[in-house]
Parts: sequence; C-alpha cells; structure tokens
Amino acid sequence: MGMRKVAIVGAGITKFVRRAQETGKELSWQASKMALDSCGLTLDDVEAVTLGTAPDAFDGVHMKGEYLADGAGAFRKPYMRHYVGGGTGVFSPIHGWFHVASGLADIVLVVAEEKMSSCHPHPQGAFLTIFDHTTEQPLKPTLIWIFALEMNRYMSTYGITKADIARVSVKNKGNALDHPSAQVAEKITVEDVLNSETLCWPVNRLDISPASDGAAAVVLASERVARRLTDKPVWIDGVGFSIDTAYWATRDLSYPRYVETAARMAYDMAGIKEPHKEIHVAEPYDPFDYKELHHMEGLMLCPRGEAARLTAEGYTARDGNLPICPSGGALGVGNPIAATGLMKIIEIFLQLRGEAGKRQVPGRPRCGLAQAWGDLMQMGTVVVMRI
Amino acid sequence: MSISEKITKTTTPTYWEGEIPVNYIYTFGLAGEAFFRAIKDKGTFLATRCEECEVTFVPPKAYCDRCFEKLEKYVDVGTTGYVETYTVTFRNMDGSAKKLPRILAMVRIDGTDGGIIHYLQGIPFDEVAIGMPVQAILKPKAERVGGIEDIVGFGPPKR
Repeated sequence: MGMRKVAIVGAGITKFVRRAQETGKELSWQASKMALDSCGLTLDDVEAVTLGTAPDAFDGVHMKGEYLADGAGAFRKPYMRHYVGGGTGVFSPIHGWFHVASGLADIVLVVAEEKMSSCHPHPQGAFLTIFDHTTEQPLKPTLIWIFALEMNRYMSTYGITKADIARVSVKNKGNALDHPSAQVAEKITVEDVLNSETLCWPVNRLDISPASDGAAAVVLASERVARRLTDKPVWIDGVGFSIDTAYWATRDLSYPRYVETAARMAYDMAGIKEPHKEIHVAEPYDPFDYKELHHMEGLMLCPRGEAARLTAEGYTARDGNLPICPSGGALGVGNPIAATGLMKIIEIFLQLRGEAGKRQVPGRPRCGLAQAWGDLMQMGTVVVMRI
Repeated sequence: MSISEKITKTTTPTYWEGEIPVNYIYTFGLAGEAFFRAIKDKGTFLATRCEECEVTFVPPKAYCDRCFEKLEKYVDVGTTGYVETYTVTFRNMDGSAKKLPRILAMVRIDGTDGGIIHYLQGIPFDEVAIGMPVQAILKPKAERVGGIEDIVGFGPPKR
C-alpha cells in the first residue's frame, strides 16, 4: 500500500488510581516524559503528537484535547485529538501510526489520558447522555444495565454460567498483582465474585472494572529511526477499526460483529490467516469480565461460545497456551478509559520485548494483539504487533 | 438557540428537555496545590522557573511545557504586576445587563512570564490603562479557603 513500517520504541504509564492529586495535564506529562526517557529521546525530537481521551464530561473540561495539549508535549507542534469512546486507547497508536506510515513524521508521541474522578457523583451521569435522547434516556440507562442485557444474552445463547464468567475476573485481578500501576489487584475466588453485590442482574460488583484516573504514552518511530533507537523495535503490523450502528437494539448482542470486522482488517494487513495459532498473547478489552470472552470470540481467537470453557481449562492463564490479559486488564489494573487501551498496547510491547518482568508470559511470544471497544457498544479497535 | 426561539407553541414540534446530571470535583494538582496553599497561608504568589528555557511560570507548572523537565523549586514572586490587557464587561453570561460594568484584566506578575486573569478593583474606567502597575487584593486571611476567589482582584499597588 506504499506505507512505511512503524515501530513502538518507548512507553510510559502512571499509576491507575481512584482519585489522583495530579491534574489531567500533570498525569499526561508524567506518562509522556516516562515514555520519552525510556527510549532516550527529548521533547525536541518529537515531530507530532496525538492524544486519546474519552468524553470531555469525565474530566469536566470541554475541548479536553486542547486543555491537555501542553501536558502531552504538544507545545507548538502538530497535534490532534482522537476519540472513539472506550475504543480510544487502542485507536491512539493507530492515529499515531497514520502520521508515521504516511511519511508525515519520523517520531510521534502518542498519549492517552483520563481523569474520571472529577465527575461527581459518578461518571454514569455523563454516560447517560450517550444514549438516544428520545427513546432511551428517559429510561435512565446506566452502562451497567445495558451490559447486563448483553451479558445475559451472551450467557443464554451459549449456555454459559455466571461462575464461568467470574473466572475472568479472578484471573485478571490476580494477574494485576504483578502490575506496578494496578488499582484493584486482588487474590479472589469465583465465590467472591458471585457473592459480591448484584448491581444489575447478572452483573455483580466484582464483574466490573473501576472508574480510574491515569495516563499512558508510547513513542512511535519510522523504520529508519526505530532501528537507530533500539535493538528491539516492536512493529505495528496491522491496524483495524470498525463501527456498528448506534441502533444497538437491532443488533445480535451475543456476538461483537464490529470487533470481528476490525480484527479482519488488522489481520489482513498483518498477513494473519489463523489468528488462534499466529497470535501468541492478547489483551482484549475487559471492562466487564464477560467482555473478555466476548472479545476473544469476536477476535476469532477461539470458536464462538468456547471462550469460557478455554478460560476454565487455564488456556488463557499467563502460562496457558494463549495468555489473555497478562497485565491484569481493566478488571485488575483499572480503567481510566483511554489510558486503559494504551496500557494494553504497552503490555504487548513489553511482552514481545521480553521485558514484562513478573508478568512475562513463557515461550518468547513473537506476535501479540491489543483490542478495545467503545461508543454505544459499537466500535472495535485492534492493533497487531510483532517483534 | 435560534430554532427554539421560534417555537411559539411547544407542541409543534414536540421536544424533550434534558440535562447532563453531573457536577465536578477538580483537584488543584501538584503545582496548583503549592500555589493556592501559598495564597491561603502566606498571602503571596509562587512561581516555578525553567532555567533551560528561561521561562517563569505563574501560576506555577509542575513541568516545563517547552522542554518537559520537572520543575520542583518554588519561588515567592510577590503579588505585584502590571496590566497586560483589559476589557470592560457590560452583560452577564445570560445576556442580561450588569448593574455595574466590571473591568477584567490579564495581569503580568513582575519578574515572571506568567499572568493571572482577574478583576480590577478600585480603578475608575477612565483611568485604566495597559501597562499600569497593580497589586493583588486578597481576602482577609481568616476568610481564605484555597482557590482563585481568595484573590478579590487587582488594585493600585500599596506603597
């Protein structure tokens, strides 16, 4: 397609916390500075900046992209914000990839930030107005009850139980014990999940990721520059994104078709024919535990309806055949929306470089994937990476 | 706004009224915490300076936005400055007339590159001028709570 190869060469991430003292700008700066330091670059070397951040209503700052710009290192540089709801963080490196693949820039800083604690009493108040103002808003939808509808449909289509799904939360919160940024890492049991408060049946409190503050950043470079900066560039070999209709009641909620179309786009670009064999480690978006299973199926990492069984067999554990969310995911590390997606990109970057420390999956993975989903459960974003 | 103004009969067209039911808790941040504590407790302004870029930030920043270095050293720069620019406002946010017009100014704090936007107090409209020296007027210490409203405005400098 005449596009240049693009590598991730550096990464930085703040702690994910319930309420950060730092402003959104300060969080963005911490992650961005860490990312530049990790690959020996300074702000002078950065030719363009892209920033991912979810609704303005979270931070309570309209035109949040412009507000955060100086913390994201965009002072007097080409700069653009992107935003596709919960899919934002995995779209962030895709947006940066455009800049480098096109030849516009050789070094691009990609930043993702969210400060959800500003939103009071709870970000649900802001989520309310993503729904159709005439047909749905009067019913006071919360993200929890719309996903409860989806989870129930998924369970009933494939005969999956709440206990099957709870294993994802147990696994991810356990994995997060080894992540230095983690907010809600815990050693828990399936019973703990099932006995936690029912918020909207079938969703219990421990089925869900928390609201969080945090930021993450990566540095992208063209092939020529990347090979000078590091012995271990991680290549962005495939990108995909796809959106479904906001008429979500017209959709088959048991299967995320938009994730499949995004994945097919990324797999085609990366030359992947059999994703379940060729992908060695994956970080699908897991804001709810069933979503990890849902997304594994949409990503064609396993047959439809099989993800729960594979999880029960340990196939997706950190030392399993296909480790899923070895970082601890949104369920364990926390979920500052846009920063979560980029945290997943960073996890795959570290896993492929063999630098994930206690979280390192065995077998020297060569190919990994990160995925996020967003908007009205309609947007899929996928990045395939290789070393 | 223009469409709703033309609706004289609210049943044609019908509509929904809505709101985004949230309010906000903003933290001052690392540098903001230092700045507002100094106003509240000591009645003065703090700045941070990037020696490399030769920029002095008021309100202070925890990092230099030009070179990205961490800025940790806070210096007391006092509360005097001069009017960089100003305007006089006659209307409220909802379009109604103000009882008394107000002067809003960008005040450059002496010896810094930073500016504070605030009201001018005790300066008649026909005397305000760009370049005139001013000084911050703070609430009495007992009434200061931490925040930009601990500053009442800027007025003629005290001798």
